Amino acid sequence: MLSENAVKEIGLIRNKYHDVQSSLLPALYVVQREHGWLSPEALKEVGEILNVPKAEVKGVSTFYSMFRHKPMGRHLIQLCTNVACMIMDAERLVDILKSRYGLEPNGTTDDGRFSLIIMECIGACGTAPAMLVDTDFHDNLTEKYIEEILAKYK
Amino acid sequence: MITVTINRKKINLEKPVTILKAAGMAGIEIPTLCHYEMLEAYGGCRLCLVEIEKMPRLQTSCTQYVTDGMVVWTETERVVEARKAMLEFLLINHALDCPYCDKAGECELQDVVAKYGPTTGRFAEGKRRHPESFDDPIIVRNMERCISCTRCVRMCSKVQGACAISMVNRSSKTFVEPFSGGRYDCEYCGNCLTVCPVGAIMSRMHRHAYRPWLIEKEIDTVCSFCGVGCSMVLQARGNSIVRAVPGESAGSNKGLLCNRGRFGYDYVGSSGRLDSPMIKRDGKFQRASWSEAFIYIADRLKKIKDENGGGSIAGIASGRCTNEDGYVFQKFMRAVLGSNNIDSVASFGYAQAQRFFEGIFGQGVTANPMRGISNSDGVFVVGDDPTAVNPVLGLQIRAASHKGVPVVAAGYMPGLRMFATSRLIPRPFTETALLSALVTELRNVKGISGKGPFERVIKDIPSVSLHEAEDACGIPSEDIRSAVDALSHMTNPSIVIGRDILQKPEGQTNLLLLAALISLLNSRIYLLSELPNEQGLVDMGCLPDMLPGGRHLAVESFRRRYEEFFGVDIPSSPGMGIMEMIEAAHAKKIKALYVMGEDLVYNMPDSAYVKAALSKLDFLVVHDIFMTETAGLADVVIPSLSWAEKEGSYTNLERKMQLVRKAVEGKGMEDWRAVAEIGKLLGFDMDYKSSGDIMAEIAKVSPLHKDITYEDMAGGECLWPYKGEPLRHGMSLEGIEMPDKDSLLKRPEKDRIYIGIDKPLFHFENLSRNSAALSSIAPEPYVNIGKALADKLSLAGGDLADITTGTGSLKLSVQVDPDVPESSIRVPDNFGDKGAYTIMSWKINSAIKAPVADATGVAIEKIKRAAEEAAV
Repeated sequence: MLSENAVKEIGLIRNKYHDVQSSLLPALYVVQREHGWLSPEALKEVGEILNVPKAEVKGVSTFYSMFRHKPMGRHLIQLCTNVACMIMDAERLVDILKSRYGLEPNGTTDDGRFSLIIMECIGACGTAPAMLVDTDFHDNLTEKYIEEILAKYK
Repeated sequence: MITVTINRKKINLEKPVTILKAAGMAGIEIPTLCHYEMLEAYGGCRLCLVEIEKMPRLQTSCTQYVTDGMVVWTETERVVEARKAMLEFLLINHALDCPYCDKAGECELQDVVAKYGPTTGRFAEGKRRHPESFDDPIIVRNMERCISCTRCVRMCSKVQGACAISMVNRSSKTFVEPFSGGRYDCEYCGNCLTVCPVGAIMSRMHRHAYRPWLIEKEIDTVCSFCGVGCSMVLQARGNSIVRAVPGESAGSNKGLLCNRGRFGYDYVGSSGRLDSPMIKRDGKFQRASWSEAFIYIADRLKKIKDENGGGSIAGIASGRCTNEDGYVFQKFMRAVLGSNNIDSVASFGYAQAQRFFEGIFGQGVTANPMRGISNSDGVFVVGDDPTAVNPVLGLQIRAASHKGVPVVAAGYMPGLRMFATSRLIPRPFTETALLSALVTELRNVKGISGKGPFERVIKDIPSVSLHEAEDACGIPSEDIRSAVDALSHMTNPSIVIGRDILQKPEGQTNLLLLAALISLLNSRIYLLSELPNEQGLVDMGCLPDMLPGGRHLAVESFRRRYEEFFGVDIPSSPGMGIMEMIEAAHAKKIKALYVMGEDLVYNMPDSAYVKAALSKLDFLVVHDIFMTETAGLADVVIPSLSWAEKEGSYTNLERKMQLVRKAVEGKGMEDWRAVAEIGKLLGFDMDYKSSGDIMAEIAKVSPLHKDITYEDMAGGECLWPYKGEPLRHGMSLEGIEMPDKDSLLKRPEKDRIYIGIDKPLFHFENLSRNSAALSSIAPEPYVNIGKALADKLSLAGGDLADITTGTGSLKLSVQVDPDVPESSIRVPDNFGDKGAYTIMSWKINSAIKAPVADATGVAIEKIKRAAEEAAV
């Protein structure tokens, strides 16, 4: 079930666009922000609020890789391992996440605190390696720095 | 004028069309996979690439429009190479399991690969795997074969409007899926099966059952599951139907079908079919020979007629019978037995609505081609849900909505939820208040001169304000206002009317208000018709007061014409209607009833009462294809032929006459032949050799069907009056009673729950219970309850509830639908002893004599399931 606020926000989004299809992506973001992922029930609910067929909602949401279709941890780490970050030893950070937090790529920690997704480029090649935690951006990551950052996310 | 040259052939065009279309006109074939005539161009398969001079790259001919002077080449080396490359891409992941794919032989991919395709691929990686999905009772999805042409998705969303499937994921992991990923939540129209070019979407019924090239017969016929009369082709092998596919010939469906038409035919081959006449002796049915049964019936009817007169015998025809059956049956009743007691379930509203509108606006006014709906600039729908009663007609309304035309839906219509611009759902039995508010407002907006006779009537209708209407029917006045705004801007609208609006205590008033709306809006009329030949029964005189050709019995000159033709006198006073017959049977006023193909017990309200009435008859004859509840009460049962086993004609709701053709042999007898045999035994000349003989007689005697022939019908545009006499004019305002204001504003009684008849898309009368396919989609009866009532009774979807009325009690599975009007529940009438009619009584509404199914004082109680009880 979506919260009252989310339903209200989606209602406002709907009125912003000429057709309801256009309001679908922003509405899905609202749900993902609230739940961390898009459950089938949530997709159905969004469809009902916007009067978009639920199959179409599913088609759209599964097309875009930024939407998650399985439960995620409370905080989502999106770590880049593309060329610049790789050169700056991002793979080492992946290992650290695995050894110290038990966090595998595409996995979630047992306590449900973090999920990890390996990203392609996030546009921070000059200050690599870089990652996103939820919507916060962090760069110039080091072994020590990443631990300090993650300590802030409970 | 545009001149385009394709492969050296010059083509002149008035309007710009796509290269693909222009080539088609010139007989030049361009291969396609994602293109489908009915759907918007997609340009995805890249198979229709052509070379256009002065354009550097190849272009997709399905999206590229021709321009003057354009020179196109469709089969150059470059084009052929490109097609080959495209096919190589498609085959990277296509399963290539042609030896056991059911599509082989009619697979479009197979055909183009045979023509252009690479014999080997260069792609070294393995093919994607995706298990075939058997989660659905009807549709089998094999996504390893899918080529992502999206024809099914476009068909489902843009034409059918079910929007049940979509392309999920992306790139090589793109698959077609319903929302659940498994079972479909859809309308099962199967139009995705029609458009799938490969074997990715197939139906379970045809799985490994046959190969396309093994089909022995293809019969062009008409669907028998509603009054739309879609053209269909029955494909048969040996003596069984293997598949029904949409036909392109006469019907208005243009290549579409609904679930009933496509999958429901399997009852024809059911093991439960009657195969021999039966005579009941000492309370037990015994098999009898045809002649034995006919002699028995003739003797009994003759005795009853001699002793009690023809008026003691009544006949009921079925809307599944052909025109020929209907004509012979009424001739038998009137001429042979001397009784005008003949009627059918067409008198449950359809016939009355038609007669009323014809009386005011003129004969034939309700006969309009269906495409008129999608061509109009506004649609007003009232009564039943057209997308369930007449699914393919419903698609016309959805098509209008897709064009951006306003659709005002008054009543419970779940199939138009996504398509109606105004949805007005009144409380039970308060449609009258809503309609009179619409009439009042439109009368003000449009203004009437008040000069014509009917305009004077409209002027006299009491005014009902929006607030008064809101008070009575519970629809916010601003919603009614916006509907009025939409309606008043329509210049060329269509009104679609379901019979539900007539089956009300105020049915007559509703008709008058609708006629006023039709006049004010100057709109075309469409009457929903639940049975394939409801219109035909009306035309053939299967009515207590009308003779074939739509003329009243009381018109002396007309009656004389038939009397001369039949060579006997016809009683001049109208007979009993279907509801009166049942009452008369109960009161023992009629002694014998001849039922041609109708299951009265379950297709009429109050099954127990009907059953009791039929049991009181001295003699009951029933024709049917199954041993129905009604047939079980009969003294003699005659096995009929189903529509797929006989020749004849149906008249659809557009009044288009279409041919029904025999696809397989049945063990029964045509209804007309059996009736004629009995007629002959009673000393009457009814020597018809074929259904064609009967149509020849109809063409001779009925003014509406003058000179009509089967050849004309095969042509597809055979709307009567064919070459007939001019139609009657309207403006007979006799019998119009002006309602007073109080009757317009009647409200439902407080704290009372009303039962409405639900019309499920997946079922047809009580016949479809015999279809394994349709039963697999919707196996169990249900009760549809609104959100507020469900919450009050703490019922949730899937619960069992006990529904009790003064008439009976049913245990039904609960469905919750927020659209169900408050203080009402909806129960379908298609489930025999678990149908709505078993718990509803009826009365006849005053002037139009349509039955008002009524259930007052309904009690609903949640039943605890065994597991829950154990937990407590």
